[in-house]
Amino acid sequence: MVSLVSRVTASAVALLTLIAVVHGPLHAQSNPRPNLTGAWAPLGGRGADPKVAPPPAGPIVLKPEYAKPYQDARAADAAAAKRGEPVASASMSCVPYGMPRMMSVASYPIELLETAGQITIVTEAFSEVRRVFMDQPQLPIDEVPPGFYGHSVGRWEGDTLVIDTVGIKESLAGYQNIPHSDRMRITERLRLVAPDVLHDQITIDDPVVLEKPVVYTLAYRKLPGYKMVEFVCENNREYVDDQGRVRMRLGGR
Amino acid sequence: MARAFRAVAGRMLFGIVVTVLGAAASAHHSFAMFDTANPITISGVVTTVQWTNPHVYIELDVPEGQSARHWTMELGSPSILMRGGWKFNSVKRGDKVTAVVSPLRNGDPGSLLVRLTLPDGRVLGNGGPAGVGPGVAPPATATSPR
Repeated sequence: MVSLVSRVTASAVALLTLIAVVHGPLHAQSNPRPNLTGAWAPLGGRGADPKVAPPPAGPIVLKPEYAKPYQDARAADAAAAKRGEPVASASMSCVPYGMPRMMSVASYPIELLETAGQITIVTEAFSEVRRVFMDQPQLPIDEVPPGFYGHSVGRWEGDTLVIDTVGIKESLAGYQNIPHSDRMRITERLRLVAPDVLHDQITIDDPVVLEKPVVYTLAYRKLPGYKMVEFVCENNREYVDDQGRVRMRLGGR
Repeated sequence: MARAFRAVAGRMLFGIVVTVLGAAASAHHSFAMFDTANPITISGVVTTVQWTNPHVYIELDVPEGQSARHWTMELGSPSILMRGGWKFNSVKRGDKVTAVVSPLRNGDPGSLLVRLTLPDGRVLGNGGPAGVGPGVAPPATATSPR
């Protein structure tokens, strides 16, 4: 009897070992997707290890009818800043950035959360939230109500998370303040370039405004153990005076 | 050639200034209203601390002869300050402090904090790099903080 139990046990162990040997590596090979859940901080380009630094951003080439107004606005902004009278922006009024600028605000971290069928991206600055619906077809642009985050769908291509976003409000300032139309499409390719370094290559395509897509890459460093901090814009002392200048409300005692 | 050099140097200087301010970078407005090239030192008694977003504010009564001038200091956000070693109660009403600040260009008694010396001699800056602070592990990959 004891012998029979031993033989059965030995057979079971051998079978389990075989399953582990056969299926373990197969499972690993068929699932190269990294787990991106966690907090990530913007990784500055300067001084970063060249092996993980983001590549330089591509050029911004606008169609002629948009190029001159854009350049004039940039020059006016620079001149106003030089005078110490910065031009008001939406964020100055505590209006969140929306896509794609929310993905890189100063040194504020972002948090990625992977759950069944959805990846959620939460930013620390302004507590903005994006929801990426996985493995679903994208909606036609005209079916997406224009908003700050639009409609995002995602899919894995090997080790790369590809996110497609449409439906961003035309009134939102874009990357480098470039204008955009309601036809804008944002394609992101997120990939680990080191165990703790994530790149998000962002391609902005807008057949109305751009001569060719704008491509730039954001880099993030993983922040193990970081607890995201709340950010409710409750005490905004910046305001625009009747001359259009940004002023700071001084406090009393 | 000289003009081109000045243009390049200007861009480099701008980059340096942006980098220096990066640690204290605001999520929501430009720092151009502050004279960051000409900081001043003020000492006084804290009257109010507002640990809020988008900025923390500290109000200060600074003695001037027989009276006092009231100053407002703008700091980074709580998140940025905590990464630089601040706690919400690092400074309290009644504390005597000395601050290096970038004053408003228009002459009003408002400013952007550069660094603050607490009553116990500790010196706190206006922020820190992302994710570096108490309870946060150092990065596994060697990089310069932004």
